[in-house]
Amino acid sequence: MNNHPIRESFQKGLVFAIIVVFMMMTGFHLIAATLASKAFGVYVLRGSIPDVRFMGYIHMLFGFWAGWSASGRTGKTSTRIFQGFAAGFTTGAFVALFDLLLTFLILSGTDIREYLSALSIESMDYFLLNLRQMGILAHLGIYTATGLIGSALAVFLRSEPVQHGWQNLKSSITNFTTRINETLPLLVRKFGKYLTYLVLLAVLVILPTKWGSYMNFVIGLVGLYVIAGIGLNIVVGLSGQLVLGYAAFFAMGAYSVGLLNAPEPHNLMWGFWPSIVVAILMAIAAAFVLGLPLMRLRGDYLAIVTLGFGEIIRILLKSDTLTNFTGGPRGLNDIHGPTLFGKPFTSDVDYVYLIFAFVALSIFIYNRLQDSRTGRAWLAIKEDPIAAQATGINLQKYKLLALIIGAAFAGLVGGIMAARNQFTGPNDHSMMVSMNVLSLVIVGGVNSIPGIILGAFALKGLPEILREVENYRQLAFGALLITMMLMRPDGLWPSSRPKMEKGDYSQNGENITNDGGKNA
Amino acid sequence: MPDIIIETKEVSKLFGGLTAVNKVNLEIPKHSIYSIIGPNGAGKTTLFNCISGFYKPELGEIIFQGECIQGSSTDFVATQGISRTYQNIRLFSKLTAIENIMVGQHTKLDSNWLDAILHTPRFSQENKKSRAEAIRLLGFIGLAGFGDFLACNLPYGMQRRLEIGRALANDPQLLLLDEPTAGMNPQETVEMINLIRQLRDELGTSIILIEHDMRVVMDISDQISVLDYGKKIAEGTPKEIQANPRVIEAYLGPGGAALAKKYQDQRRKNA
Repeated sequence: MNNHPIRESFQKGLVFAIIVVFMMMTGFHLIAATLASKAFGVYVLRGSIPDVRFMGYIHMLFGFWAGWSASGRTGKTSTRIFQGFAAGFTTGAFVALFDLLLTFLILSGTDIREYLSALSIESMDYFLLNLRQMGILAHLGIYTATGLIGSALAVFLRSEPVQHGWQNLKSSITNFTTRINETLPLLVRKFGKYLTYLVLLAVLVILPTKWGSYMNFVIGLVGLYVIAGIGLNIVVGLSGQLVLGYAAFFAMGAYSVGLLNAPEPHNLMWGFWPSIVVAILMAIAAAFVLGLPLMRLRGDYLAIVTLGFGEIIRILLKSDTLTNFTGGPRGLNDIHGPTLFGKPFTSDVDYVYLIFAFVALSIFIYNRLQDSRTGRAWLAIKEDPIAAQATGINLQKYKLLALIIGAAFAGLVGGIMAARNQFTGPNDHSMMVSMNVLSLVIVGGVNSIPGIILGAFALKGLPEILREVENYRQLAFGALLITMMLMRPDGLWPSSRPKMEKGDYSQNGENITNDGGKNA
Repeated sequence: MPDIIIETKEVSKLFGGLTAVNKVNLEIPKHSIYSIIGPNGAGKTTLFNCISGFYKPELGEIIFQGECIQGSSTDFVATQGISRTYQNIRLFSKLTAIENIMVGQHTKLDSNWLDAILHTPRFSQENKKSRAEAIRLLGFIGLAGFGDFLACNLPYGMQRRLEIGRALANDPQLLLLDEPTAGMNPQETVEMINLIRQLRDELGTSIILIEHDMRVVMDISDQISVLDYGKKIAEGTPKEIQANPRVIEAYLGPGGAALAKKYQDQRRKNA
């Protein structure tokens, strides 16, 4: 097919039109406008519909985007600008066509809500910018104009002087930072790391008292998922075993704490601290029992078996036969939380501190493990099990070790979660939990602590805060995963290996110079 | 015998109806470079896999320093002091070069995961020593300054050498090299030949070499065995092998062997 530049931009415009129409039909525009108006602090309630200007802004954004992406990287300036115009016009035309169709349907008395539950006459009005018939023309105009602007801006920003200037700016910034680094006194350079930690610590101690109970709840959840992510990363990221039933180990921990601290069905009341140890041990025991036969499996088979294991645990907990022992489908209620120095944990702030402490501990353990003989053996197994075995690594032993350590983290998370929610039930440990933990590791960046933290925020924190878009969580989730795999296959914050040959690797505070192998 | 490092006695490996290695007897002297050559599919790599424990030979014995090792697991064989490289490079590509070598030291070290978390004195000492040794080894194989590169980012020749470095890291007594010069340019080949010689002369390692490049084989081998269809058809010094009519036939076929003989006779006459 002949890829004429103009035809290509018509196609791009069509794609954007489809996206826009789809979003309008599912009501996503309305939500986006609500969020935007909230973000700008303008929330004019008229019914449940925010200020109409934001609707216009969102249309503008898409038109701009269409123009930007349609404008080519090479060719005559006029052609490139015209490409943006064409794309914007196409998008606008198709959106207008859609408007026309809807208007016609509404006027002819068809009840469109029967087919599209998200659309009402009011929201239709809203989409048309409260301009009725003129709104259709307004759409066409907005898209064409913003398309034109988008392409013009793209042409301008991609032009040589601008790119050149941008490169200069970047290099001068890096120069500046390195020079600052060089001029810093030795003391600061040496203790800068600890200073950063100290500031971070202060922030983490002060913030939870400031930002309110709900935020603490969300941050606590994110923290728990960070711990779980680190634990799963030891299994998946370091030793390379795809385990899909991670929530089963959550369940081990949660039920250990739950059964030992809930009034029903056993009324044992051991207290949190002994029972969290039991929780970890139970998770380890489960990993051991599961792992012994499992370590001979690889890849897909391992994934399927662990997936099944997770479901078996959940269904067992749910079953009626075990109701007397585990509480059955109703779960365990009124689980008593921890007490520290005689003071019971009551607010979310207490739990946030507890979780922060364990997050720090997990990061510490992870960092030390990954840069050790054990960690390197795991990575070697992940990269090439055959070659790893030929260097003398006992595959079974190391894979089992990774699973056990990972499970211990999960047991801890499950235990804290049960105490924090004062409840645990079979559905807290469903497959979706395992999938969430796995995706946050992959989205954030395998083997990268900042990546895992970012991933936990993106996957657990944001959806919690953006309650409005809850219905679109799965949609956004899918889109996010696809985008990630295309744009950043190594995760949001990819990992890097420590530099050990050169001097800046200072685990032992010593610099070993290379003598060119004379003493080998 | 004290000067034999490894001995295979009547080793056979069957894949269904195919006899990949057929009653092969080898005796490899210590501190020597012993080459195994043969046409493609002759069973050379299969023999390597039997020695290093990937395959369990159906028949026969493999005796390494007086101990039977056939049928042992690969990691056990590695702890006994046999290292190997592979026909197609099998580095840990997302680890740095120096980390690859440190993984290679696995059997030499013994700090466990608890040492790593607690940074016990054992861990710290061992880590320091292992890093220093890895850096030295990097220099030895000619990769000084490339230690912090990811293995997958190194040029091909360096990857080959790094693989040898990883195999050397646990001070093996026996090194199995599977086509170390495959795909190399003449310059890299010469460097590799020198490196292999250094291994024997400076480190005293015994080496079994699979190689297709006859210039390399004839240049550095102390002894050569020829395999064809899983059977050993000849053994001897490079000179003896070059003159062996069965070897020539195995490589060139009966017609080619006749031609070669004619050509050699002619050359002799002219000389």
